[in-house]
Amino acid sequence: MKSQFGKKLKVLLVENNLVDRKVIIKMLSTSPYGHFDPKFASSLVEAFELLPKHKFDVVLLDLNVDDSKGLETLKKFHRRFPHLPVVVNTGSYQDDLGLKAITKGAQDYLIKGMYKSYSLVKSLYYAVERKRVEEELKNAYNKLQQTQIQLIQAEKMNVIGGLASGVAHEVKNPLATILYGVEYLENSLKTSDEKIVLTLDSIQEAAKSANNIIKGLLDFASLTNLKKTPENINTLIDQAIHLTRPQCERVSVHLEKNLQNDLPLIKIDRNRIQQVIVDLIVNAIYAMNNGGRLMIRTYGKKFSDQDVGWIDRRGRSFGQGDDVVVVDFEDTGPGIKDEYLIKIFDPFFTTRRAAGGIGLGLSIARTIMNSHGGIISLHNKTGGGARARLIFKANKKEPV
Amino acid sequence: MKKKKVLVIDDERGFTKMVKLNLEASGDYEVKIQNNSLDALQTAIEFQPDVILLDVIMPDLEGPDVVYQIKNNEVLKNTPVIFITANITREEVEAQEGYIGGHAFLAKPGSIDELIACIEKQIKSHP
Repeated sequence: MKSQFGKKLKVLLVENNLVDRKVIIKMLSTSPYGHFDPKFASSLVEAFELLPKHKFDVVLLDLNVDDSKGLETLKKFHRRFPHLPVVVNTGSYQDDLGLKAITKGAQDYLIKGMYKSYSLVKSLYYAVERKRVEEELKNAYNKLQQTQIQLIQAEKMNVIGGLASGVAHEVKNPLATILYGVEYLENSLKTSDEKIVLTLDSIQEAAKSANNIIKGLLDFASLTNLKKTPENINTLIDQAIHLTRPQCERVSVHLEKNLQNDLPLIKIDRNRIQQVIVDLIVNAIYAMNNGGRLMIRTYGKKFSDQDVGWIDRRGRSFGQGDDVVVVDFEDTGPGIKDEYLIKIFDPFFTTRRAAGGIGLGLSIARTIMNSHGGIISLHNKTGGGARARLIFKANKKEPV
Repeated sequence: MKKKKVLVIDDERGFTKMVKLNLEASGDYEVKIQNNSLDALQTAIEFQPDVILLDVIMPDLEGPDVVYQIKNNEVLKNTPVIFITANITREEVEAQEGYIGGHAFLAKPGSIDELIACIEKQIKSHP
């Protein structure tokens, strides 16, 4: 935003002493340093009437006016007009009163008779500018708070998603057995006994109702509503690098990439996979908080069981020899302790609890990769550092 | 009429029994169950099914691993495979017109009519 200094300021002078008022008017009107359009009020009531009618830039407020005395005047004013910059102008000097006025929202505290024209003008212009910056900061803080709430909410949803997905699989299998069983009994009994027919119908309805509850839970967690489209993984990586670059620079992590040009497209929900890539980059940055190097590499290959450990291969949608797209994230950090490797994807496992980590990033990343029929794995490199690997099934052989 | 041979590979014992009961009750099918995916290939070689119903997530050897073995076996390589899994919903299968990654899919739970329709379709398209 453009600075206000030099602009003509609309000033409301809340002052019931006519002599003081004249002195201030003279200072403002003869000052070569600024331009003012002043208006006057003798009391708070009068001030409150004027304020909505005019767009004042700043208020010069005497604490002792017709209808209010002391700091109470400032408090009342600030309660009604919290966004308007106020400079207190008072005849009584007390050190603690000045400081208290500042804590109650005043931008400055002037003692009558102890300042000259230049100080008054400077104080008014600075008050306007300081208040503007303060408001910007408040807005940024509010925005940050909202984003934080949204992030926490998103993480909660992801936990529900992970649980829902696991529960769904375990519950749908027995439901399938029950429903096939009922169908068999219906077809083989072919009975007209109303009680048996009613019993079988009730079992069938109950199983279908349970299945609908599971489906509702999955829909709620959006795991079955992934919007999968053919994507170039390199584009997502470039975007993730762009997003995380400030964090990299802050801790002197040097980010390098080696992306294969003619990669096949992969069918993914780009927002969810973007989330996984950003998480892995952020994890690497945390691991190298004294600086280091992060290399991101993409390449296509035929899948081999040697690419990942057996435990990571569960639930994938491709087999030995299928075309896959691989993304490797290799850092030069201290690596992952062996005892952590086995539980690193567990929900709520974190090595950064003290720093506010809640241990859901990798758990969610695995849920997302599983819902794409892909693989995520984490290993220590033989030369030091850790390597995170994502593997996706290559859908078509169309070059990017 | 000669019965069509169906091999069911799934670690859910109750489910496989119900599939066998229902399909054999129709009189058109001979069904063999294999609950241990490590023995799936050997059972398939011996049974020589017309179609294989295969779960995706199983202990030891998963569905895609079994498919890899089948497709690399001279005798079985043309045998149609239907994945039948609780990992996806019926809506997802319908949205993909019954095929995901080139394989026929059925969602659990489903109906016997759906199962039979899918089996017949696969057998016809793999004469």
